[in-house]
Amino acid sequence: MLVEVVQAVVTGLLIGLTFAVLAVGFSLIWGTTGVVNIAHSAFAVLAAFLSLVASRQWGLDPIAALVGLVPLFFILGVVLHEVLIKVAARRTKELGLASMIFTFGLASFMENGMAYVWGPGPRVLNTAYTGAAVHLLGISIPLTHAYGALLGLATIGLLYGFLYHTFPGKAVRAVWQQRDGAALCGIPLHRVTALTYGVSIASASVAGVAMALIYSFTPATYMVWLVNVFLIVIVGGVGSLLGAAAAGLIVGLVSSLSVLVMPFVWTNLALFGLLILVLLVRPSGLLKR
Amino acid sequence: MSKSTRREFLTKAGIGAGVLFLPGISLTVRASSAPIKIGGSLPLTGAYADTGLWVERGYRYWAEQVNASDGLLGRPVELIIYDDASQVDRGISLLERAITVDRVDLLLGGYPGTTAAAQMAVAERYRKVYVSMGGHMASFQRGFRYSFGAPPLMGEWWYEGAFQWLESMDPAERPKRAAAITANNAVGMAVRGGLADGLARSNIELVMDELYDLPLASAEPLVQRAKALDADMFIANGFFGDGVQTIRAMRALDYNPKLILQGIGSLIPEWVQELGEDGNYVVSGTALHDKLPFKGVEELNQVARERWGLRNAPEYFLFGYAWMQALQQGVEGAGSLNQDAIAQYLRTEGIDGIAGRMVFDERGLPPAFSYTTQVINGQVELIWPLHVRTHEPVYPKPPWGR
Amino acid sequence: MVNRPRDWVYVFGILLALGLLPLAQPSEYVLSFLYFLFSYAAMAVAWNVLGGFGGYLSFGHVTFFGTGAYVTGLMLVHWGWSPLITAPLGGLAAALLALVIGYPTLRLRGPYFTVVTVVTVLIAKIVVLNVPLTGAAMGLWMPFPPWDPFTSRVIFYEAVLVLLLAALLMARWVQHAKFGFGLRVLREDEDAAAAIGVPAFRLKLGALLLSAFVCGMVGAVHGYDRSYLHPDFMFDLHPSIMMVLMALFGGRDHWLGPLVGAVAVMITDELLTVYVGTEAARMLFGLLLIIVVLFLPEGVISLRLPKKPPRAAAAGEGVSSP
Repeated sequence: MLVEVVQAVVTGLLIGLTFAVLAVGFSLIWGTTGVVNIAHSAFAVLAAFLSLVASRQWGLDPIAALVGLVPLFFILGVVLHEVLIKVAARRTKELGLASMIFTFGLASFMENGMAYVWGPGPRVLNTAYTGAAVHLLGISIPLTHAYGALLGLATIGLLYGFLYHTFPGKAVRAVWQQRDGAALCGIPLHRVTALTYGVSIASASVAGVAMALIYSFTPATYMVWLVNVFLIVIVGGVGSLLGAAAAGLIVGLVSSLSVLVMPFVWTNLALFGLLILVLLVRPSGLLKR
Repeated sequence: MSKSTRREFLTKAGIGAGVLFLPGISLTVRASSAPIKIGGSLPLTGAYADTGLWVERGYRYWAEQVNASDGLLGRPVELIIYDDASQVDRGISLLERAITVDRVDLLLGGYPGTTAAAQMAVAERYRKVYVSMGGHMASFQRGFRYSFGAPPLMGEWWYEGAFQWLESMDPAERPKRAAAITANNAVGMAVRGGLADGLARSNIELVMDELYDLPLASAEPLVQRAKALDADMFIANGFFGDGVQTIRAMRALDYNPKLILQGIGSLIPEWVQELGEDGNYVVSGTALHDKLPFKGVEELNQVARERWGLRNAPEYFLFGYAWMQALQQGVEGAGSLNQDAIAQYLRTEGIDGIAGRMVFDERGLPPAFSYTTQVINGQVELIWPLHVRTHEPVYPKPPWGR
Repeated sequence: MVNRPRDWVYVFGILLALGLLPLAQPSEYVLSFLYFLFSYAAMAVAWNVLGGFGGYLSFGHVTFFGTGAYVTGLMLVHWGWSPLITAPLGGLAAALLALVIGYPTLRLRGPYFTVVTVVTVLIAKIVVLNVPLTGAAMGLWMPFPPWDPFTSRVIFYEAVLVLLLAALLMARWVQHAKFGFGLRVLREDEDAAAAIGVPAFRLKLGALLLSAFVCGMVGAVHGYDRSYLHPDFMFDLHPSIMMVLMALFGGRDHWLGPLVGAVAVMITDELLTVYVGTEAARMLFGLLLIIVVLFLPEGVISLRLPKKPPRAAAAGEGVSSP
């Protein structure tokens, strides 16, 4: 029994890190521009599909494929900003609400586009290490989970370094905290926001690959991942990088441990229930700074 | 010219002209016999496409054969197969479209069971014969007059052969504790239906009985549970995709039960393609098989070798062919496209095709039967009943990678 | 066009004429298409009371649709009552559910509210999928309607036409009453509205209950028509997305807006689905959502309505009648 619990904790922490990466990018955009990007996880799923293609066509390992995917998605993020967000910011007064609708539209567009190209069936990534695991003291650590978590950790670390130790990163944080003040300091708002979007979507691509190493996915999976992301961001507080990371671990643990105490089919419900609970009790975030 | 020679000449000319016109006559005769339209839907894309495509090939090959010989009731057949994208919803409306817009003469069966069950209801409403795999026992208990499982894919009968095989084993050898995971849909639940009783007959305790919704995100938590419970028999009542994930999870977690039962999916070529050696020794059930000694099976195996370079005809290719063949025999037996006459014929005379001889009862079902399969060396072998056994079963399952 | 008092008569006149259409023995295909059009339009019109007038975007109204279907379906299976008669009960059940959901969640704003509505659909699906009462994963089989297919089609057609009329009348009433006025004030600035004494919560809840009621009734009729219910298609996000799109595309500020939107969207959907494929249709709808929000926030119908007076005018100047 103890072994089962420890195993669940280990797995939970690993998948929690993966979810955290997905949440961080989402939180970044929400915090800096007030845009709720429903399509964030759709980009992640897209990255998963593209890595699948890379794996089938050229035998590329998904993690290796990231070398190409990350810059590509960075550009996609910037394009998203230029084409949609700027226009929306100019034309609508309630950007938050409007952004929900048009990013929902974008997500639906992407979901069906992916279904059109690759079909709606479930996919799994096959790597050289799928099915392989490290066994320590009776605990199995599947390599796919380990690599996914390492990717997550690395990305969060990089983001932290970027935001706190580089000039452009600090500019992003400045805009995040005080938009007008930042502008007054001469920070080019437009360029910084574009950068933020690029970074966010790029991180989504990493998250997509990390998730796909562990889970099967379909074009419609973005919605399930989004609910998890939302939960993490609510729990961790919008706009807190470390909060998102910590909340990710919590959500991962809940997800994993719930399997032990309830029938498998109800485990998703546990997460949904937690989300609603948190929203009703402390919508500003459990871990608010 | 003399009178007699002119007569001769005219006669010969007449015959000659007549001969010239003959092909013209037979051409016009064929052109005016409109094709018999057979319509319905299959999952050509989506979650069940792997199987749906093979069923389609079975249907189309049958149509090819029929058109190459005398046709059906002397008329060519035309198949109208819509893609329902593995969604029941669409299966319902597409079948209705085939009936009301395309005005098809006959219906073709859908896949999988959930879609077939829903389509059975539609067919019943329009009073048209519907031959398919059926939607498991529940669907045949609704008093439908026009639906036939010919043969059916009856989840409740699925593991019957495996249970008999277990019973025939030395009790000391049998597994003691079974863990079952079931896809939370009609098929999975139907397959799970006979589980408790079947296991009890061999004194096997069911220590875990979990359901999961499709698509299955990850099989690890479930397999982990089974391993922690020391289950030495694992039953995966799911489909191809989740089955593959489950096997992989078992390997990743180094879980080695003595026996693995798989619901659907271990019989299609893709199983061995995806899993390689890991796909071996998995046991399943079926209602049709390429090694069965019935008339026509070997010819279909031959076709599979020639067209797709496979060793034998895939299971669902055979099913597709079988269902169309049953419909064909019903129509020919009744001598018309009258749906009531066809249904009547199937209940009195039955059919005799690649799935064997079967007569259908009030519910549209033949008497209960099931064949048990095991994947051995990348090949699907029959291990039960004894009189169709093609290979000695491998038990217990060797640990992964050895 | 539609702002002149007499013009709403034309709209209802057209609808009544459509009610007589079956006498002309049209093809089943036409009846079927209009059946779906009326159903979606009714739900979009009802949704708009909360979403358009009130500004509370719910992507969860399909939950009410499904609830109405299952409740009346179960009553049919166990007690033999025809859903065409018990539809209002289905609507009531949906409204009850709306009350339970709405009470805690209508306190949330903007994106938080919307996300909760999405989660509601996901929860409903899981629950219905795993509870034996509703048939769980097997689905719920219902007895067939007792008529032949064509008569059936006509009866269901008329049923949803009636529901559409009811929804339109309801929305029109709301728009002209203080109710609708209050909702629109909420949409502009909820805190200010509450400060001046607008009973915000009651209005929101009322709007939610009314829209849920209509969706529940539509669900009841649909369920009976299908004779087979399964959470996979009774609790699917797509109809919810359609409702939102139709209302926003047609025009969220007017009771007729969603109807216009429904016509436009359904025709497009049919053309695309038949000639290209369902995914192409849904991709287009995604794009339309984007376009509507960015370029046509008041919807297509705004092209025909008179321009609103400048925002500087006090909130006392509402939208003109009818």
